Amino acid sequence: MRAKLWGTRGSIPSPGPETIRYGGNTSCVGVTLSDGSLLALDAGTGIRNLGNALPDEPTRLHILLTHLHLDHIQGLVFFAPAFRPQTEIVIWGPASPEASLRDRIARYISAPLSPVEVRELPCDVSFRHCPETEWEIGPARIRSASVTHRGPTLGYRIDDGDSSLAYIPDHEPALGADLEALDEGWISGFELARDASLLIHDGQYSDAEYPEHLGWGHSALSHTLAFAKRTRAERTVLFHHDPLHSDERLDRLGEEGRERWAAIGGHEGAIELGVEGGEYELPVRAPSAAAPA
Amino acid sequence: MSSVTQQRPLELILARNLLTALSTPAFLVDEGGVLVFYNEAAGALLGKRYEELGTVGPEEWGSIFGPFDDEGDPLPYDELPLVIAVRNGHPAHADFEIRSTDGTRHTVEVSAFPILTAHGSQGAIAVFWPSGSQNGAAC
Repeated sequence: MRAKLWGTRGSIPSPGPETIRYGGNTSCVGVTLSDGSLLALDAGTGIRNLGNALPDEPTRLHILLTHLHLDHIQGLVFFAPAFRPQTEIVIWGPASPEASLRDRIARYISAPLSPVEVRELPCDVSFRHCPETEWEIGPARIRSASVTHRGPTLGYRIDDGDSSLAYIPDHEPALGADLEALDEGWISGFELARDASLLIHDGQYSDAEYPEHLGWGHSALSHTLAFAKRTRAERTVLFHHDPLHSDERLDRLGEEGRERWAAIGGHEGAIELGVEGGEYELPVRAPSAAAPA
Repeated sequence: MSSVTQQRPLELILARNLLTALSTPAFLVDEGGVLVFYNEAAGALLGKRYEELGTVGPEEWGSIFGPFDDEGDPLPYDELPLVIAVRNGHPAHADFEIRSTDGTRHTVEVSAFPILTAHGSQGAIAVFWPSGSQNGAAC
């Protein structure tokens, strides 16, 4: 299994010279399974470049949406394969008592916000609510679970062979909770990330910024470190960078994260900031036993 | 490898987080009616913190704390507001007595409501409104 970060930014695209290294595109991770099947985790503006990188030939792919905030779906109408008749796209996402997944997405892919309607997309597109139970895509077992964020929001776990990828880009597990003290079963998203080869997790705020954003659905650095420690993920990528964080600011946040991770006994190299274009071959075993006991 | 724990549904996690922040005694049961949490205010009322008691089923709960009717007789399990909320999926209210660990009897009003999700009932919350206390052994 391979993963590539096509968009690491949260909230709103933030292109410019100050974000050129970590990237300005919003959430999207491309995952290639061991049999070559292709998944896209979220469809933020990063999915545009993912689509541009795909060959112009018959393609079947799955898009797994964590939720429908704009920074996770904005790239859908700029995803080139969606405009090819030979493409088959299955879009998975959270159920809602309010309306179907298709109808909720159609609020964005419709006038006046979009020049095209869902029914006008040339590709073969279908929409599926994520089931409560594990399901399979190619050789992978997929699991989703609701996690702490604003509105119906999922995290995902993908198991393919002996590697596992947990993707929880928008997550505030510490809201009203002590991540250090709680039993594991009471931590939002725990089973998704438990012993994962690679955890891609919300790391939007510094600890100093968090109090002003309490309840906004995102994590402070200390929360992400505590979550990674408790779940014993082998390697953790901080993701969904705040749009106000410049490359220099993120460099400092990353350095602080590595220092604090080492201070709690974590292994060097097991915590890093997501960089647009970054690629991971799973399982990523080095360094071994990356999470502190 | 760690031991396998039961991942609680998000709705229960959020409910627990809310109850933790309340100063009103409040209780949380899962979809099977098993008591899975109560807050510090409830612990003060009962004389025992949740961390000391742990997860208990309805029978054990009843043998420790009650509840009891005006005559001091145990209330039928099926008539408890939390049970009605979990089983029937609608809110319920009742007055009764409970017994704390030191034998003090507390008259309480209880309001319970179900936690309903797209996947069905995930449990229920009960809030206790203490309206009086009386020392002495419970019946």
